[in-house]
Parts: sequence; C-alpha cells; structure tokens
Amino acid sequence: MLEFSGEERQAICDTFDRVLSDNANEEALRKLIETESGFDNSLWQKMAELGLTGLMVDPDYDGIGANIQEAEALMEVAGKYLYSGPFISSCVVAPVLLQASSNLSMVGPHLKNIASGNSIFAIAGCGQSGDWTEPPTVNAIQNADGWELSGSAHFITHALTASHCLVIANEGGERAVFLVDMHDYSVPAKYQSTDDKTLRLSNITFNGTQALRLEDVGEQQIAGALHLALIALAGEQVGGMRAMFEITIQYLNTRFQFGEPIGRFQALKHMAADLLVDVESASTVARIAAQAMASGSGDSVLLTYLAAFTCADNFRKVTADAIQLHGGIAYTMEHPAHLYWRRAQTGQWLYASSDKCRDLYLLEMEAKL
Amino acid sequence: MSEDLKSKVEGWLDAHWDSINNRQVGTAIYDAKTWLAKVVDAGYATPTWPVKWHGLGLSSKEARVIENAFQTRGAKGWGRDRYHLGAITIFKLGSDALKTELLYELLTGPICCLLYSEPGAGSDLAGVRTRAVKDGDEFVVTGQKVWTSNAVEAEYGMLLTRTDMDAAKHQGITFFIFPMKQAGVEVRPINQITGESEFNEVFITEARVSERFIIGEYNQGWKSFQTAIASERLIMGQGITARLGGAAAGKAPALLQLAHKHGALQDPVLRQDIAQALAYRQLNALNMLRAKEEMMKNGASSLSSLGKLAMSRIQHGEARISAKILGPQVLFNETEDALNANFDGAKAYMNSIGGGTDQIQRNIIAERVLGLPKSMDVSRDIPFKDIKSG
Ligand SMILES: Cc1cc2nc3c(=O)[nH]c(=O)nc-3n(C[C@H](O)[C@H](O)[C@H](O)COP(=O)(O)OP(=O)(O)OC[C@H]3O[C@@H](n4cnc5c(N)ncnc54)[C@H](O)[C@@H]3O)c2cc1C
Repeated sequence: MLEFSGEERQAICDTFDRVLSDNANEEALRKLIETESGFDNSLWQKMAELGLTGLMVDPDYDGIGANIQEAEALMEVAGKYLYSGPFISSCVVAPVLLQASSNLSMVGPHLKNIASGNSIFAIAGCGQSGDWTEPPTVNAIQNADGWELSGSAHFITHALTASHCLVIANEGGERAVFLVDMHDYSVPAKYQSTDDKTLRLSNITFNGTQALRLEDVGEQQIAGALHLALIALAGEQVGGMRAMFEITIQYLNTRFQFGEPIGRFQALKHMAADLLVDVESASTVARIAAQAMASGSGDSVLLTYLAAFTCADNFRKVTADAIQLHGGIAYTMEHPAHLYWRRAQTGQWLYASSDKCRDLYLLEMEAKL
Repeated sequence: MSEDLKSKVEGWLDAHWDSINNRQVGTAIYDAKTWLAKVVDAGYATPTWPVKWHGLGLSSKEARVIENAFQTRGAKGWGRDRYHLGAITIFKLGSDALKTELLYELLTGPICCLLYSEPGAGSDLAGVRTRAVKDGDEFVVTGQKVWTSNAVEAEYGMLLTRTDMDAAKHQGITFFIFPMKQAGVEVRPINQITGESEFNEVFITEARVSERFIIGEYNQGWKSFQTAIASERLIMGQGITARLGGAAAGKAPALLQLAHKHGALQDPVLRQDIAQALAYRQLNALNMLRAKEEMMKNGASSLSSLGKLAMSRIQHGEARISAKILGPQVLFNETEDALNANFDGAKAYMNSIGGGTDQIQRNIIAERVLGLPKSMDVSRDIPFKDIKSG
C-alpha cells in the first residue's frame, strides 16, 4: 500500500472537486434524479480515467493503491455535491474484500475491471434490518457447480447499475462473501421509492442464484468491510454538512431583514456557532478514524463507530437547522437544503443505524473496563 | 342544554348531510357554495358569533358540540369562527357596513389567502413594498407576494400594502381585504418540500381594490394586522397541519398508536422518547385550555402566544420519533406510515417558519410577554424609502 502525503491527498481531492463541479453540480444532480438509474456513466468513466475508481485497488491490478484516508477525503468531496455514484460499494468496500481473497487468479480480473471502470460492484450486506452487523439473510449452499444463494438482501445501493454484487451470506453458521455476476441474475430488481431521491436503493431476492465464494474472506474481513463503509459514509456526511453549513453562513451574511443582515441577530449567531461545533467535531473524527484504520491503531474500531454516529447525527442536525435558518426559501423544492436534509435522513440508517453505532461505541468503551 | 343542542344539530345534519356519499342530501355531487350557505344560514359555521352576524351567540364549549357532530359525520363547514382568518378579521375589525357587504360572501366561499410575505419582507413584515396608490375611491395595487398559501383557490386575500413611502415603516401600511379574481393578479404555485404546492407567488400588477375594503384605518394597517396574525398564531398553536396529529376525543394519540403497531413500546429507549413527546403535546393542550379560560375571564391570556412555539418542538420531535419507530423502512415512501412520517418531518417547518418563525416567536414572547428590553430595529424610525435591503 502506498503512503500519500497531505499535499498529494489534497491534489486528488482538488481534481475530483473539479470533475464533480463540472459534471455533478446541482443542475446535473437534479437532472440525474429524474432518470431511471440515477447514475451518470460518462462521469464514472471520467473518474476511471483519472484513476479514482481504482483508488483502493492495488497497483498490481492497475489501481492507485491508496487507503481509507484518501477514500475518506474523496468522500468529503463527493458529499459536498451529494454525489451518489457507487463509490463506496465499488471503489472502497469491494476492492478491499476482493483483495482479501487468497484466490488471486479469480479476483485479479475483477480488480482490474473496477479500476478501469468496466465493472461496478454493489454490496448486499443485510436484510430488512438494514444492519450489516445482524446475521445474514441470504444463505449459501454448495452444489456440483459451486455455490448457490437464496434469500433476500435489502438496502443495496445501485443494484441495477452494478455489473457484480458481493453478497454477505450465511454458510454453515459462518459469514462468508460471495460474488454474483449481475448479468446472470435473472430476477428483475426494481429501485424502491426512496424519500431521498438522490440515492437509489433496492432489494434483491436470490433464488438458487449461482455464485463464487471469495476464499478465506470471513468474519474479520466482513467486519472490516462495514468499518470501511462507515468511514467512507462519515466522510460523505462531513462534506455534505460542511457544504450546507457554508451555504447557510453565506445566507446569514446576505439576507437582510429589519434593515440588517440576519446574521446580526444573536439567536442566529448562536445557532450558527453551535453548528460549527457539530461540523468541526464531525470533520475531526471522520479523519482521525480513517487515519486510525489506515495505521491499524488499537482504537480504530471504537473511533469508527464514534465517527459513524457523530457524522450521521450531526449531518441531520446541521441540515435541519439550515432549513430553519433560511426561513421560507428552504421550504421549497427549488432550494438545495432539502436535498441535503433528506440525504442526512438516509445516512441515519445505511450499513448500521446511528443508534446502533452509538451502542457499539459504548461496547468498545466497556471493553476497557 | 348541550344535550338538546347535540340532538338538534344531529337531527339537522341527518336531514341535510349524506355522510355516506359526503354531500348534501338530494344532490349528485358536493357543491361547496350551496352547502356552505346552508351551514351558514343555520348558524353552524360561526356559532360563537351573534345572530346578527350569522351566528347563534353560543359559548365555545357549545360550539364544540356542533363541531363534533359535524366531524363525526365528515360534514364540512364547521368552525369558520375559528379557522376562517379573513372572516374572523372582518368580524373583529370591519365596520358594520363592511360586514354587511362581505361577511356572508366570505363565509360561504373558500378561505382567504394571506398576502403578507414578500421576497424582501418575511420576518420583517412591516417591510412590505407592495404599493397601493389611491385613485378616486379605489386603490391601485402593484407588487409581489410570496409563500401565499391557497392563493389559487382563494377569492379574497388579506393584503398588506405600503401606502406611504416617507413615513416610518410601521406607519405607512394599509391592510385590505382584496379580491383575487381580477385581471392583474397572477398566481404561480411553488413546489414545497412536503411534495405539496399549497403556497404560491402572487404577482399583482395594477389590480384594484375599493377603499371600502380597508381593514381598520388608512396608513394604520399594522395595527389591524396584529389582530389577524394573532388569530393565525393561535390556530397554529393547536397543530392542525401534521398528518399525525393529536388524539380524537377518547382515542389514543396517533404517535402511541404508531408505536404500538410497530412494536416500539417494547424498546425502553423509545418508550422514554415517546412518553416525552406525548407529554409535550399534552402539556401544550393543557396550557391552551388554561389560556382559553383566562381569555374568557380577562379577555386576554399571555399563555396563548406560547402555543405555536411549543407546537414546533412537538411536531419536529414527533416526526423524528416516528422515523425511529419505523426504522430504516422510513427511507421508502412505500407504506402509509412512512409517507406520513416523511411528510410530517417536512411539514413541521410550516409551523416553525410559517406565521412567524420560532426565532421571531421567541422575541415576541421575551419582549411582549416578559417585558424584556426590545431589541434594536435600526430600520424602525427612519423613512421607509431610506431602509437598506439585501
Ligand atoms: C408552509 C408555509 C406557508 C406560508 N404561508 C404564508 C401565507 O399564506 N402568507 C404569507 O404571507 N406568508 C406565508 N408564509 C411565509 C412565512 O410567514 C415566512 O416564511 C416567515 O415569516 C419567515 O420569513 P422569510 O421566509 O422571509 O424568512 P426570513 O425572515 O428571511 O428569516 C430567515 C431567518 O432569519 C431569522 N430571523 C429573521 N429576523 C430575525 C430576528 N429579528 N431575530 C432572530 N432571527 C431572525 C428567521 O427566524 C429565519 O431563521 C408561509 C411560510 C411557510 C413555510
């Protein structure tokens, strides 16, 4: 794995920011929301050309070989634009799970395809609970040709855009990871009617679906996959809340009532100051958690859960107050505030709920007793 | 007495309202105007008002008997003395001549819209720039209003206008009851975060209104406006906007029913949240009852201005707890419960922003109820035309 300096990381982020500001700005996002897939493949291919899709793929397979710190930083940029492509599943979680497999000849081509933008991976990690820490709801059985999967998985992002899906399934009482080629998957999946229109979610029912097993990928790697997803999501939430916060502060400076900018009113100053504490705490912990995971520090898991619920809850708080601070203008669909606010609602539940992460955080703390 | 009243109203409704088809007995479709006229003629639309003004001179407790009879049958037209802001304002402030001219028409028509807010005048409503210029015995009105709820249906609006640019901002305002259905009034719906489009932009270009339709005095509109806005805030303090509202008489509150249905009452943490939410709602209801008693006794109650602010916490809180009760399924607008929870989460902002934001409500409570020193308004005492805007 490569080491990146702070400047190098910043340079990647600046590049990503430029690409998104050209191709995934608010106008583009609103157009994308109206499409069936909610996915902009030409933007994805641009990201692939820049090496971003191979961010966490090993250089042996044409990737950049970066770690979760770079992923977290890039997700902050993604969050700023509410970018909703399959970056977490395909570029953060999938490469790490695939690279953990001992069968390199099987996973190698997939890693190359992720890096080149030819393949897109979804992750099926949970059932109706929406919680990756709960026992899998999909079962794997070995047959003459390999493995078959049965059962339903839920809360899958970008299932219809994905060429492949990694499924966390129960195999003889243990968790294991299986690879499904979505071209072979015959049951038509549909995107569900989400309240947050910026993100596509669906469930998939496997019914004797043919799958390959990722050799030697077990409990530890699956727990690690959740932690990766949570940190990446935390980064996205930091980006989202900072963007909404900055829009709001600007508004406090430019909106006049009673002959003055409304930022002069103490009630609003106090709200803004409180929100800054929330934004900065979230930024700090998302980055520290990423750093701890990258360096394999002993507190990594505890910090991951802390980042997860802090960023999820603060995103919610910042966007909710941002609407209030704007007044009537933010009660409209035309204003972006509700887009951020709704994404924040989604983030309360993805991978593991913020309440669950709070509980897991305390469990980690209790282990110190 | 109230038993007599109850059977009288019920008898009347049974004779005239077809509660299976939701229309007047003997008609093929529901026609609002004729039905409302019938209700108004019977005195049931505004029972607390005197007989002279289409009422029955009843107490609000007796009026509740009538409302209940209407509500249980799904009959429309009740409570117009509580919810029809235009009619209420004309009833309170209009001259007898204006009442004679307009009250019946207002009561038998759709509710009036509120043409207050403008792009530059929201919290600072006294900053309205829509001009009304005298022309004979009429005024010619030009300007833009925004966030105007129900402007599409409304036949009348209560309109705040600027009639003196040289006076200080509170002094040069005139308040009208304004006919909406005329050339020069263009209504453009706005999409709201709830998915509704109940509020609108209203562009007014050289539209006309008779000087008889001034509410209160010329250039003294700010004073009469206070009466109208107080009625509005009183209504909002009862929290009628959310889908998941309070409880119908004798029924468990909606939040509790939702929690029960989804097994959330087994969760000790949610139990705490739910109990607190129910408590906030009940405490507000009790406060409002006390306010009503004080009003009956003394003609005023400082408690009444607390209701709208309390309702913001109640509605935002209940929506969040509903989402927790539903769990991640709330992300999908695929069940009635999720739709309601998501709708209410957005709609709560109608209470905390509309009709004066929570921040403004707190200022009002601090300054007018508690008598704390007033905050500075640098634009208060200078000629309106010299005020800075952003
Ligand atoms: C659902 C809905 C329906 C509505 N219906 C109508 C209607 O029918 N008719 C109508 O005329 N209007 C209507 N409104 C408009 C509503 O009254 C205004 O939105 C509200 O008064 C706030 O004004 P504004 O939107 O311009 O926000 P602003 O006044 O610009 O407020 C922006 C922020 O500044 C804060 N602020 C402003 N001044 C102060 C101060 N002095 N101290 C502390 N904080 C301050 C506010 O609290 C808010 O957080 C409706 C609004 C909503 C949301």
